[in-house]
Amino acid sequence: MTKVKICGLQELEHVRAASTADAAGFVFAPSRRRISIEQAAALAAELPESVEKIGVFVNAGLDEVLEAVQKVPLSMVQLHGDETDEFIRSIPVKVVQAFSVRDIEDVKKLERSIADFVLVDAPGIDFRGGSGRTFDWSLLGGASIDPERLIVAGGLDAVNVGQAINSLAPYMVDVSSGVETEGNKDADKIKIFIKTVKGDSMQQTTGTVKETGFFGRFGGQFVPETLMKAVKELEATYTEAKDDADFQADYHKYLKEYVGREQPLTYAARLTEAWGGPKVYLKREDLNHTGAHKINNAIGQALLAIRMGKRKIVAETGAGQHGVATATICALLDLECVIFMGEEDIRRQQLNVFRMKLLGAKVESVTKGSATLKDAVNEALRYWVTNVEDTHYLIGSALGPHPFPTMVRDFQSVIGRETREQILDKEGRLPDVILACVGGGSNAIGMFHPFVEDESVRLIGVEAAGEGVDTDRHAATLTKGTEGVLHGAYMKLLQDENGQVQEAHSISAGLDYPGVGPEHVHLEDIGRVEYKAVTDEEALASVIKLSRLEGIIPALESAHAVAEAEKAAAAMGSDEILIICVSGRGDKDMATYAEKLEGLA
Amino acid sequence: MKCLKNLKDSGDKAFVAYIMAGDGGLDKLRGQVEYLQATGVTATEIGIPFSDPVADGPVIEEAGNRALAEGVTLDKVLLEMKDWDFDLKIPLIVMTYLNPVIRYGAERFAESCREAGVSAVIIPDLPFEHQQLVEPYLKKTGITLIQLVTLTTTENRLEDILEAAEGFVYAVTVTGITGVRDELTQEVKEFMKTVRSKSPVPVYAGFGISRLEHIEMLREDVDGFIVGSAIVKAFHDNKIESIEPLIHAVTQRNPV
Ligand SMILES: Cc1ncc(COP(=O)(O)O)c(C=O)c1O
Repeated sequence: MTKVKICGLQELEHVRAASTADAAGFVFAPSRRRISIEQAAALAAELPESVEKIGVFVNAGLDEVLEAVQKVPLSMVQLHGDETDEFIRSIPVKVVQAFSVRDIEDVKKLERSIADFVLVDAPGIDFRGGSGRTFDWSLLGGASIDPERLIVAGGLDAVNVGQAINSLAPYMVDVSSGVETEGNKDADKIKIFIKTVKGDSMQQTTGTVKETGFFGRFGGQFVPETLMKAVKELEATYTEAKDDADFQADYHKYLKEYVGREQPLTYAARLTEAWGGPKVYLKREDLNHTGAHKINNAIGQALLAIRMGKRKIVAETGAGQHGVATATICALLDLECVIFMGEEDIRRQQLNVFRMKLLGAKVESVTKGSATLKDAVNEALRYWVTNVEDTHYLIGSALGPHPFPTMVRDFQSVIGRETREQILDKEGRLPDVILACVGGGSNAIGMFHPFVEDESVRLIGVEAAGEGVDTDRHAATLTKGTEGVLHGAYMKLLQDENGQVQEAHSISAGLDYPGVGPEHVHLEDIGRVEYKAVTDEEALASVIKLSRLEGIIPALESAHAVAEAEKAAAAMGSDEILIICVSGRGDKDMATYAEKLEGLA
Repeated sequence: MKCLKNLKDSGDKAFVAYIMAGDGGLDKLRGQVEYLQATGVTATEIGIPFSDPVADGPVIEEAGNRALAEGVTLDKVLLEMKDWDFDLKIPLIVMTYLNPVIRYGAERFAESCREAGVSAVIIPDLPFEHQQLVEPYLKKTGITLIQLVTLTTTENRLEDILEAAEGFVYAVTVTGITGVRDELTQEVKEFMKTVRSKSPVPVYAGFGISRLEHIEMLREDVDGFIVGSAIVKAFHDNKIESIEPLIHAVTQRNPV
């Protein structure tokens, strides 16, 4: 975990607030934060042994530095001037050498440093160290500096430190003006900054999910107190089940024997020819029992519910695919099942409603709000709050409070794992581009997750642009949304300037949601995945294309990925490989297709 | 919020009335607070409407939708309260979901609450774990973040939450959402006893309280009651007088 240094401490109150940091900095160079060796000694005495005491100097004499090291005593020395290597070697404690980085030349100087640690900062104004302006982190992109030696400073505060950590993964972050109010240190801000870096807050740090359930700054557990016990219980059960060979064996047995995995990675010869670019492969989630990827997750969670002794299931559904998958698995495992579905979606997806009923589920129509997925989630949450002691909420996408986004991702990762093996088998190499549609984000994260570490693979998530992202009728949360909290997670939302969540619009019921899973927001934030938006019209055109060229009628959701794939393919060469996740088949959308495509199809 | 402690010490019970700001128009809010103050409530909780109030039942949700349709926002409510010039004697508590606060900015929210004369804030979807998102800013402006505990709160959590509690503790009487209930379970009584024995601050029971029987049943085990849906409904139906017996049953030591 990234360490925290609070620099420029002058008062006891602030030193105490910094006692949970990893390092405290005392400035001996000319600056408004300058203190004497005696003052520093008195302050250092108030700090726990474990906190590094770092003295900051600019072109001081060796005698002065040595005196401070001995009297304070200092455990590290930080140099901001033109100190020579010889000077550095004469210092008996660890040395941090600081560099103001403006351009590539500065980066080269920093690479040559012999100090134990190098500190990078924005160019100074008030004294040679620490200007408080934000450093252009991208400059360090190509530097060959071991992150374990790197300390980052310059304009950091609780809001931007997460980004600094995500992009550089430094050994330590150094803050001074970012924990001040009107030029003076602020004990509350110091505490918030430390908590922010050390987790236990929105601004959780590294790219992987921690116990509190954050992906970068996104995720968390924003639920009413009544649900906290259930959420924690699920977290504990899942943590344990994940590593339990019996549980995994059981889960995989159902995937194989019941869902029919593994699914093929089909080479799409005619699509490849028609697009005249890369070789196109289709990951065939449409072949799953019940017709979409949703069942991969439904099985995993139903087995967990049984493990927790809960035999009642509540779920929401948009397109009805998740509802059908849940109803199916509840029939198979003899669980009681209630599904909330928006009235508007019930109208659009009649066939799936009937399937759920036939499978023995109770389908509750939600007439509130936009009567679509968001409102169905609200009602499912209310139902869960009321019946939490014996009911599991089987959420249908990589959404909701921790551990749902992680757990759903893990259950859906079978998509990406199979794809990876299959493409290596067929082509002997990784693909160049992978696309998947993004509603809440479960098929996409399941497809992407096993490839996230492979930098050569371009990952593209495709949202619904509805009638266009510049109209107010779309569901392009990543493209157009802003940060906020809904349904248990800090993520991106379509909302107005007062924090009221807006209705989403897409012809595809499964993409019609004004939020998006927190891990996607993080992957966008760190620039690992690109997110594009495709209109209703473009998606419908792709339905026809895939049907006519490959004999595969895709779900409307999946057709969004196909439409964007065609655009991506236009810029690709014939030696490249593109994979589309066909998340589901079009049976459920036949009424819409008949209505919209009459005369064409 | 010191007055709440004094009230507890005197043995009197508190009545906290929840209203939805802007249900029927924001210009109604002031009159509603004045009325409640005159009727003898101990404090008023002012609800901010939100598009997705998952902790609320239909009565409050619908009131919130009506307020949203009137164009009511967090900002407008706080500005309205800031302008009040009548003699306000009871604490004002703001209840809002987290997202409007994040959108508004937690620091600015705390500052605006202070200017509006708010004493405490309740955020039902901000769990104890994440409270540093908002709490430090409130604290700086002298505003209390009220903690909630529920029947499903585990023992360890209960101790942690109570240890940090200030103002009063909001003890939720049902495993569920807000809304009028016919009956409360016996389990609730035991729960209130436990919470009260451990809490450093007064314990108020809320969610579902709507009848004299509820008050009688829990009277000895809590320091006060929070009533929401019943009041929201009464205001909406223009029958607020019908709530007076409930208020007096709590606040008057020997109700007639
Ligand atoms: C076939 C299909 N694909 C995609 C989705 C979108 O969900 P997610 O983004 O979680 O994969 C749905 C949702 O209902 C679906 O039915």
